[in-house]
Amino acid sequence: MVETKGPTGPPHGPAPSLWPLGFAIGLTVALVGLVLGSWSTVAVGAVLLLAFGFVWARDVATGHGAPPVVDEPLAPGPESARHTVPLRSDRDADALPVMEDEEIETYPRSAFLSLSTLGLGGVITGIVAAPVTVFAVGPAFVGQGEEEVDIGPLDDYPEGNFIVATFLARPDEGEVSRRTAYVRNNGVVDGRPSLTILSNRCVHLGCPVQVNGLSLEGQKKTVEVPEGPTVELTPTEAASGFGCPCHGGQYDTEGNRTAGPPVRALDRFRYKIRDGRVILTSSYSVGEVDGQGAEAVIKAYDLAMPSVHVDGPEAILYPFEPPH
Amino acid sequence: MATTAPRRRRRQSKLQQAVDIPLDWLEERSGLVGATKYFLFRKVPRDSSWWHTLGSATLTAFLVQAGTGLILAFYYKPDPDKAYESIQHITNDLTLGWLVRGMHRWGASVFIILMFFHMARVFLFGAYKYPRELNWIVGVLILVTGMLEGFTGYLLPWDQTSYWATVVGININASAPFLGPFIAQFLRGGAEIGTDTLSRFYALHMLAVPGALFGLIGLHLYLVIRLGVSSPPWSSEGAGRDRAEVKPTGRAGLTRGRRV
Amino acid sequence: MSSAQDERRAGFERYKEDVENEGKPFFPYAMFHDTVMSLVVVSVIVGLACVWYFTADGTEPGLIGPHYVEEADPGTTSFIPRPDWYFYFLFYLLRIFKWPESVVLGTVGVPTILMILMFALPFLDRSRERRLLRRPVAVVAAVLTAVSMGVLTYKGATARESLGSEAVAAVDAWSSQQGGFDETQRSGAEVFAQVGCLQCHIYLGSGSANVGAPELSDYGSTTQRTIEQTAAYIRNPAEFGNTVMPPFPGLEDAGVLDDVAQFLHASSGATGDG
Repeated sequence: MVETKGPTGPPHGPAPSLWPLGFAIGLTVALVGLVLGSWSTVAVGAVLLLAFGFVWARDVATGHGAPPVVDEPLAPGPESARHTVPLRSDRDADALPVMEDEEIETYPRSAFLSLSTLGLGGVITGIVAAPVTVFAVGPAFVGQGEEEVDIGPLDDYPEGNFIVATFLARPDEGEVSRRTAYVRNNGVVDGRPSLTILSNRCVHLGCPVQVNGLSLEGQKKTVEVPEGPTVELTPTEAASGFGCPCHGGQYDTEGNRTAGPPVRALDRFRYKIRDGRVILTSSYSVGEVDGQGAEAVIKAYDLAMPSVHVDGPEAILYPFEPPH
Repeated sequence: MATTAPRRRRRQSKLQQAVDIPLDWLEERSGLVGATKYFLFRKVPRDSSWWHTLGSATLTAFLVQAGTGLILAFYYKPDPDKAYESIQHITNDLTLGWLVRGMHRWGASVFIILMFFHMARVFLFGAYKYPRELNWIVGVLILVTGMLEGFTGYLLPWDQTSYWATVVGININASAPFLGPFIAQFLRGGAEIGTDTLSRFYALHMLAVPGALFGLIGLHLYLVIRLGVSSPPWSSEGAGRDRAEVKPTGRAGLTRGRRV
Repeated sequence: MSSAQDERRAGFERYKEDVENEGKPFFPYAMFHDTVMSLVVVSVIVGLACVWYFTADGTEPGLIGPHYVEEADPGTTSFIPRPDWYFYFLFYLLRIFKWPESVVLGTVGVPTILMILMFALPFLDRSRERRLLRRPVAVVAAVLTAVSMGVLTYKGATARESLGSEAVAAVDAWSSQQGGFDETQRSGAEVFAQVGCLQCHIYLGSGSANVGAPELSDYGSTTQRTIEQTAAYIRNPAEFGNTVMPPFPGLEDAGVLDDVAQFLHASSGATGDG
């Protein structure tokens, strides 16, 4: 504000002047020309530089001279400054009485201002928050589907006992997708092989369930699969069911809950046989299994999270299941 | 003799000026010096004692967590393929990495224990009563947020314990009626604990939850300074004691019948 | 209502006056105590870190736990998850709610109620009384909370789980504590350790007590059954009216059922050098 007072300002305040601005533009043009290697641009810049430099220097040399601003159509500085400065001080001086007089008149305007301030703030928040929130939450709820997983030749699953198969559910994601299934070959029924494939995640809270039986670690073997790392198969013997070490859930050999807190039977995998190999296609949740092996009647439901009731009266507590 | 004393005085006043000038500069522009002076020299009840140190001890434990956590973030890699290795690297290879990781690991336990002790103290003193109700609520929020910090941090070493404890922890959330499965899915960033889960937990543990903690602790301290701390309820010279009442006898409280 | 509120306000005004007139400056009088306490806290943290680091070695636990356990294996079949100690109470609570219908009470119900109570405390207890002996309800609530949290945390900390591989390694110790197993009993013990018995039964400090199963350390010296009856019981407990314990017909198929019965009848509690 001090400079804009022009001749009435303090003795050492320079008069308002646009010459330095032109000088700076000339300097910039010349430098850009140098960087670009364009000599004509450098020349234009140099001309501007010299011309504005000359008039600026002349003004300075003549003791700030008559304010050149008068000649400048683009300089509203002193004009408005001369008006606003006294006006502002006027208002400052009698600010309080003016406000009291105009209180009623200004009230609607301030209501409008406060409303629009809040509204604009809300708009800004919305513009930023909406995409961020959607991005934070959304990807988790895009169903990724399930990939088909090859878990080796059917011949590697001899009839009768459970085989512990560990495999990568999504080979491209690596070890973080390693899963374990308990696979039992029930023999050929109606010309088609029948398998019972149980997930090893406890349906209480997701701990790894263990075979209540003898795990024959010595007979462990690895099977090559076309895509992704190997599948490990460990045979078991005398399995009487499955147990969860965390909170004591017990399951029978069909995955039915027999004791403890699990809310349903163990989840299962759907499968198909392609070129003599076992392919897991998707998994599903099970309310209850009637019967044994190939004859089992399975109450199947969409895959649910552990601890979620899929049937019975408690199922009403879990009406929605996010997509998988 | 006569000349040394004024010289020393002059030197002292110069020193005083060297301290005062920047402080005055700061005070004139921010008022921070006055605020600090108010904080330091405000009066507290004369019978405040060791009991009242649990809060600041908790704050110290939190600051240790903030400092060590920041430095651990220099070296930790929140990626399922690298996290475990980087934890081993920090513990075994880096200079004093074991100490910083150890302080962060055990500092978490100390922080939680101290929060419980502090809370128990406030409960036993009845210090949550008028006008300090809001500060109790903020304190409970700090406790919950602190335990959330413990939960999100437990996954980061990516060893068996941390992985499976997190599986169970997330499924505990999933068991909540109606919205539970959605909360679980949000925490995991998908249907299973996958590649995104670890970085999600890391971001929460490093930024979101500590940020909330800093804010809540700031509010907590503001309220402590504004409202003051309660005298021990058994104190015979407690601030705000009832004057009209007769001096409490031995049975009238856990009294210390020293003097009235 | 309003008079109680006035009283509270007057009390706080008196508090402010008393602090103004009788109080001491925070610095250095109170802050000295704070600083000493903070020094203690930092020393404890550094001390714990040192004890932890210098007594443990990688995955080998020292006095207060290992530096880290094995890398996460989402496909494992032989790992037992544990939370950090301050969630032990919840961990054990989940074992207490052992019926499917009540899972949600343990996971969400009880913690939510506790949290609501904590938030609501200043509104539940609005009296001005702060002396403990005049706050009987508060004292009882505090003692109950402390005791139940303490017990749950202790139970969670000492809860043992069975891992087939670990239990098999304990067979030698069992043998010496039970006065020596012969070959059959030893084979039975190894089967017993692996087939999941210890998920519900405790045997000489291994395993965990779940779903009401009895401890089996002294089965042989206390049971009325013959070895054959014991074998039949294990094969199908439902015949004896026990529908909680799963049947183990597979053991007979594998020819080890009798070994397990022999092993159990050789168990008479810790009579050896244990």
